[in-house]
Amino acid sequence: MTAFAMAAAIVFGTVAKDTSNERLVYGLKVFAEFLLVGLLLGWILYFIPF
Amino acid sequence: MESEAKAPAQAWLLSTAGWLIPGAGHLLQGKFVRGLLLAAVVWFCFIAGLLMGGHMFSVGGNDQGASTLLQLAPMVANLGSGILYIVCWFAGIGFSDDPMLAARATYEYGNTFLLIAGLLNYLAMLDAFDISAGRKT
Repeated sequence: MTAFAMAAAIVFGTVAKDTSNERLVYGLKVFAEFLLVGLLLGWILYFIPF
Repeated sequence: MESEAKAPAQAWLLSTAGWLIPGAGHLLQGKFVRGLLLAAVVWFCFIAGLLMGGHMFSVGGNDQGASTLLQLAPMVANLGSGILYIVCWFAGIGFSDDPMLAARATYEYGNTFLLIAGLLNYLAMLDAFDISAGRKT
C-alpha cells in the first residue's frame, strides 16, 4: 500500500501544479491521503463480517 | 466564444511516444527529470506487478459475450503500459491463467500494480501532450 501510494503520489505530484515547491507539497499530500484512506478503509472492512 | 488552439501534430507524436515508451514523451521535450521520474514509476509498478504474480488482461481467446466486456476495461488499463504490455504479450509473460500464481497472497496486489502502471502512464502521456501543445509550462 505504501509503495502504491508513493508511486501514485510521485506521478500526481509530477503532472500537477506549476512550481517545484507546489508539486512537492501536493505529492506529499496525495501520499498521506492515500495512506490514510487505505488504513481507514482497511479498518472499516475489518469490522464488516461479510 | 473563444476556441482553443488546435494541438500541433508534434504533440500527438510525442504523446504517442510517451505511451509507447514510458517517459519518452517528456525526455524528447528535454524534460529529463520529469521524464525519468515518470518512467521509473511506471517501470517499478509494472515489474513489481509481474514479480508479485500479477496477471494482465487481453480480449480474445475463449471469452464470449459479457466476459469479453469485463476483460475490456482492465485490458485498456494494462495497455497503457505501452511497449511493456506489447512485449509481454508477444513473449507470453503475465498472460497465463496459472492457478499456482492465482493462489499466491500477492496475486491481487500484482494485478493492481500492473493496472496502475498503465493508468499512470496514461497520465504521463497526457502531461507530455499538454506540454507539447503549450497548454502547460
